[in-house]
Amino acid sequence: MIRRNISFGLVFLTATFGLAGTAAAHHSIAPFDMQSPKTIEGDIVEFQWTNPHTWTWINVKSPDGTVTKWGIEGMSPNFLGRRGWTKHTLSPGDHVKIVIAPLKNGEPGGTFLRVTLADGKEMVMFGAPGA
Amino acid sequence: MRRFILVVLSTLGAGLATAVVRADAPAGPQGDTWASIAKLPDWGGIWEVTFGGRRGTPPEPPSFTPKYAAKLKAYQDAQHSGAIEDTPAANCVPPGMPNMMTQPYPIEFLFTPGKITIIAEAYSQWRQIFTDGRSHPDDPDLTFNGHSIGHWDGDTLVVDTIGFTTDTRIGTSYGMEHSDKMHIVERMHLTGPDTLSVETTIDDPEALTKPWTRMATYGRHRDWTLAEYVCQQNNRNGLNQEGQATIDLER
Repeated sequence: MIRRNISFGLVFLTATFGLAGTAAAHHSIAPFDMQSPKTIEGDIVEFQWTNPHTWTWINVKSPDGTVTKWGIEGMSPNFLGRRGWTKHTLSPGDHVKIVIAPLKNGEPGGTFLRVTLADGKEMVMFGAPGA
Repeated sequence: MRRFILVVLSTLGAGLATAVVRADAPAGPQGDTWASIAKLPDWGGIWEVTFGGRRGTPPEPPSFTPKYAAKLKAYQDAQHSGAIEDTPAANCVPPGMPNMMTQPYPIEFLFTPGKITIIAEAYSQWRQIFTDGRSHPDDPDLTFNGHSIGHWDGDTLVVDTIGFTTDTRIGTSYGMEHSDKMHIVERMHLTGPDTLSVETTIDDPEALTKPWTRMATYGRHRDWTLAEYVCQQNNRNGLNQEGQATIDLER
């Protein structure tokens, strides 16, 4: 299921960013490693409901107890707002799992693919409007 | 008698003049008045390029002249080597025409007497298409969206646009450049109750060896409203002067 969604996301990203001359966002996916999706789990610090991208800031605790704040770039409010998301979908303190395509440079960031919310509900970043 | 002949001649002259105007002027309602607009097809609501349209069979690529084919090749080489990672759009420069029409954000048509305005949500852009019978300026300023005049051919809106800055691209790759002589003709019409088709034909005597046509299909969402899109609000993923994509996780 995860794999299927990721590959849909990749197809979508490729189609929109690369081939069709349209852009899901305004930039390429060059900084992100789309081949190595990664799941991070932690507590939401802030969900920035902004253009041209949402940014999700999440504190992730590593096995040794250190906490690192990750920054995850996502689709825009305009795009997500027509696909079931609101500015309240992620709130400070929410404990969630996010599947990302991580930054190639190793910094704690990536691009948002999908999330499992605290109540177990899954939300994706891509798909047809109204889905 | 002489006066009668004069009257006949002037009537004939007026008739000829009328005939000439009629041959040039499009038939049917042209939206020059609110009453005329009421007779036009209903393009109300918000329109977004359909996923089917975007992910469908890609069009035949443009046929570039050697000079512009070389520009595309040079760009693609720089992309493949990693020398260029992104386009100015990463720094919030809007796409302009023709790609303004196929963003993954919706558009809205506003019909007012003598003018159709297209608002594109992406980058908060707008185009104005004059339908009042005016011509293009002889020496237009060169802009991202160009100078558009249009008329109704039955239920089809035909839009003719010239006057482009060379900052925009023809499509599918940022390496697909055009000259300031690019000329775009769009034919827009409803193909279903909530489906709009736009056929875009681009010609450019310097960049293309033959006109290039592409199709886009839009779905209507009557319950949507356009949303604000200020690209500079929180852009952490820009392009530096070396052409490399950057990420700002700091601020």
